[in-house]
Amino acid sequence: MSNSSEIIGKSNQSKNIIIYSIIGVVFLIALWLSSQSDGPSKFPKVVTDEFTFTAWVNEGEDFLKKNYRWITKIIASYIKACYYFVEDFLLESPWLLIAAIFFLPCIIAGGLKLGLYSLFVVYFWGATGMWEPSLQTVALMGLSVLLCVFFGFILGVLCSQSDRFENFMKPVLDTMQVMPAFVYLFPALFFFGIGGAPAILATMIYAMPPIIRLTNTGIRQVPAQTIESATSFGSNKLQLLFKIKIPLSLPSIMMGINQVIMMALALVVLACFIGAEGIGGQVWQAIRRLDVGWAMEGGLCILFMAIMFDRFSSAFSKTEERLPSDAQKFYLLPQEWSKYQLARILEKPLMTAHNIIKYICVFTTNLIAYFIKLLISIFNKIFAEDISEYISKRYYIIPSFIVCLIIVAVDTYFIKIGSFPEEWRLSIRQPITNAVESLTVNPGFIAFTKSLRAFVYLNLLRPLDTFLTHIPWWYTMAVFVALGYITVGIRFAIITALLLSFIGACGIWSHSMITLSSVLVSVAICFAIGVPLGIIASYNERFRNIQNVVLDAMQTLPYFCYLIPVLMFFGGGIVSAVLATVIYSIPPIIRLTSLGLTQVSGTYSEVSRSFGGTLIQTLNKVKFPLAVPSLVIGFNQTVIMAFAMQIVTPLIGGKGLGLEVFNGLARSDTGRGLAAGIGIVLLAIIIDRITLAYTKKQRQALGL
Amino acid sequence: MKLTKTISALFLSLVLLIGSLGQANAAKRLHAAIADWTGGIITCEVAVAILEREYGYKVKQTVFPSGTGLWEAIAAGELDFACESWPSYAEADSVMLNEDLIYEGKVVGSYSGDGSVDLLGTSGIIGLSDYWIPRYAAEKFGIKTWKDLNKHKKEFATIETGNRGRLIGCPVAGWNCHDQKRLDLLGIDFQADELGTEAAAIAEAKAAYMRKEPFMLYLWSPHWFFGEFDMVGVQLPEHAVCDPDTFTEAGNWKDCGTKGWPATGWAKDYTMNYGNPAVFAKAEHADAKKFFENMSLQNIDQAKMLVEVDIKKRDVKEVVAEWLDNNPDKWKPWLK
Repeated sequence: MSNSSEIIGKSNQSKNIIIYSIIGVVFLIALWLSSQSDGPSKFPKVVTDEFTFTAWVNEGEDFLKKNYRWITKIIASYIKACYYFVEDFLLESPWLLIAAIFFLPCIIAGGLKLGLYSLFVVYFWGATGMWEPSLQTVALMGLSVLLCVFFGFILGVLCSQSDRFENFMKPVLDTMQVMPAFVYLFPALFFFGIGGAPAILATMIYAMPPIIRLTNTGIRQVPAQTIESATSFGSNKLQLLFKIKIPLSLPSIMMGINQVIMMALALVVLACFIGAEGIGGQVWQAIRRLDVGWAMEGGLCILFMAIMFDRFSSAFSKTEERLPSDAQKFYLLPQEWSKYQLARILEKPLMTAHNIIKYICVFTTNLIAYFIKLLISIFNKIFAEDISEYISKRYYIIPSFIVCLIIVAVDTYFIKIGSFPEEWRLSIRQPITNAVESLTVNPGFIAFTKSLRAFVYLNLLRPLDTFLTHIPWWYTMAVFVALGYITVGIRFAIITALLLSFIGACGIWSHSMITLSSVLVSVAICFAIGVPLGIIASYNERFRNIQNVVLDAMQTLPYFCYLIPVLMFFGGGIVSAVLATVIYSIPPIIRLTSLGLTQVSGTYSEVSRSFGGTLIQTLNKVKFPLAVPSLVIGFNQTVIMAFAMQIVTPLIGGKGLGLEVFNGLARSDTGRGLAAGIGIVLLAIIIDRITLAYTKKQRQALGL
Repeated sequence: MKLTKTISALFLSLVLLIGSLGQANAAKRLHAAIADWTGGIITCEVAVAILEREYGYKVKQTVFPSGTGLWEAIAAGELDFACESWPSYAEADSVMLNEDLIYEGKVVGSYSGDGSVDLLGTSGIIGLSDYWIPRYAAEKFGIKTWKDLNKHKKEFATIETGNRGRLIGCPVAGWNCHDQKRLDLLGIDFQADELGTEAAAIAEAKAAYMRKEPFMLYLWSPHWFFGEFDMVGVQLPEHAVCDPDTFTEAGNWKDCGTKGWPATGWAKDYTMNYGNPAVFAKAEHADAKKFFENMSLQNIDQAKMLVEVDIKKRDVKEVVAEWLDNNPDKWKPWLK
């Protein structure tokens, strides 16, 4: 046994040497080739002239616009009507009603903690003066999530029933997730008009994949025994699906809904570019005026909203409905704190109030249930029993109704409650702005940013840019195809060749190389910062907890918010673009490094330590090799996110394909924008597949 | 579970119904695009406020980033009008307008497009573009005009530009500013960087100003930046119209010199309001059409309001209402 592994070890070593030398040779040839050429490599002119993809797309778009616009207009008018209905309702209702609408479900599903949190969120919207935009964002997000869940669920069920359909949907879903939203945001404008309707439809494209995927996997993962027993009891296919499979996959579906909500929120912010109102518009205006504080307030509104919906949807999917105070004793503060007098004093009245409310709720519910029972029992006794039992078991429905009705009645007949009171305003704009401005003029900090900028530009970006753009296109292509062949297989190699020729034929080869180089540099920096942070987090739990909160915030905060500080510290240009990309795409690598390292079971590291391995040795020789699959997934996600960010970086001076998308859209040249957008997608997909295949081999080699 | 959901849905829809009662009022309605830069917002707010005060309109306002999408949306009837388009920046105007642009009785521009967008008239604001450097830099290096720039180009250089100076250029390629060509023509050894958005350019300039570093910035006036920071123009050569018979973009721009081309309407930019032709052809909107023909907001008035809004951080609506209250003599003539 040990003998054979030794041989494998040896052959692996010699294999490694061969692989490294091949890589070295390939790289040296590339270096030589790129130093030989005197300008950026270009695809043969014959091909680019013949392959006028841009013009075809534009002709197609014109044709569609002329002939099918009436259909899209009808769809848009329905969606718009729904949107206006919800929006008008939210904006014209008294603010207390809105607060109640958020507060009641939250307290019912998630207990008092979530309820109080929801009150804080609603207060924050009002206090920062973003009451209306926040509600508009809620309306937009709510409608798109509703539509996403409806269509996504149907598509997911279809996927789970037919392998062929699933195989067809997989690349479509990949494309939907990676395709930069700007590419379809503007064509959506021409077909569906401005404002809510196109925003909702564009959001659907972006946010639907998770629910389709998770419905599909949820249904497919229903255990075979369950299905078998159901069939043996004589259920037919439809019964099996609706009575067994779908109910059993509900947790998975709920997780999908949760993700849909998060992604919809992310995109709704971008929709300000096509005239949709909401917080996105506020943040964008703040950025136009360089008001960092304002932008940050908008970002926090979104962040808090996202956390609220996230907690609510996960609480809703987990718990059966109950009155919050059912849960034994209530703790707002950490439980250990109850030894402090102050904490007890704070919690006592809350607890009492809680009990009183509970008592009132139960009492009214039972009372009303009794009356309903009396009323219905005139017609049907058994049904009446059922209904009354149902109602009295669920304390919250009736009181919630009553609270809302009271608010509405007071508003219409007694005092106009109106929108959020102005006097309660509280702004944190000025402190944030001041902090950023003091950093801007801080000499030490600026010296640091300047040297960082110089380092990144001179040592990483410029050499890599020239290197990649100067290598002849056929050589780069050959390397990619070879990589595809080695890691995945012949079919993928052919596909890679085709995809890369598409990029070349569209005449965006050098743009795509610039994009590739910015992505590579960003990912390298992410790696250099993220892996150490992940290692620290894997050893220190407190650090990990704090870090998780920060990472959550980084991922949910609209990336607009931190563009302005980056600009003020680093100046515009490609370095800032790279840094913004790093901020956006670093979370997965940190998370998955710490996850991978903590997951390595304790026995392994114990064994290594008992053999006298030092901390570094254990990390290096035992933990890291075992964590490689997790690391590569983190790397993979970081790459995808870095590609996605390429579409935003032109806003602060980024170059490459993202800039092409912008220039295309600025000139109403959908074809040009689409070609560049597809370019980004294709590059991302090729790299994604190659790295995933690499982990697969690694995983097999490790026997995981 | 299922029943709970049904009941929750019923509950929500009931609440929705209650809430939706008690709306519906009929007024003359228009849908305006509000620009995303403060000058444009103020111009539009002036127009909207007057339409609402004097003609009883109810104007729905949508913030809409300027660019081609805006013109398309107006042509498609999604929006009814937009304010203060800068002809030098829009390519759409030459494609979609089919009228003369008249300022104080004089024709200052003419278009022969397909007429899918209606030219309502000038907004009154005349844009002025230049390259600007902060006063402290101008005094330190003794830079009076653009001719002095080359001597101090090293001071304006950054890592990316190497030996050449850096111009924080016109941010959006779609605007057709042709900064680099102009610099080359004038023999200024600077490199123009497009930063993608106005916000990016201004953010960098603001940070540099706060650190008292030298920098050169492309900018137009009126702009709030000048209210907060002391900038000096480098006085580029004046704009002159090129002879259309001899002028072609490909070969002759050199003959025309820096005066007529790059065709940005370099020194003077008569901005305009524009709208959907079908909407403004309606009899009920005749008043509004007449008003837009007469409207003529002066640069100085906009600049005053800009300072109030952007530097004193006041609400746009409040500032415009105050201006309307205090200066009836300026806008009453537009109502004729």
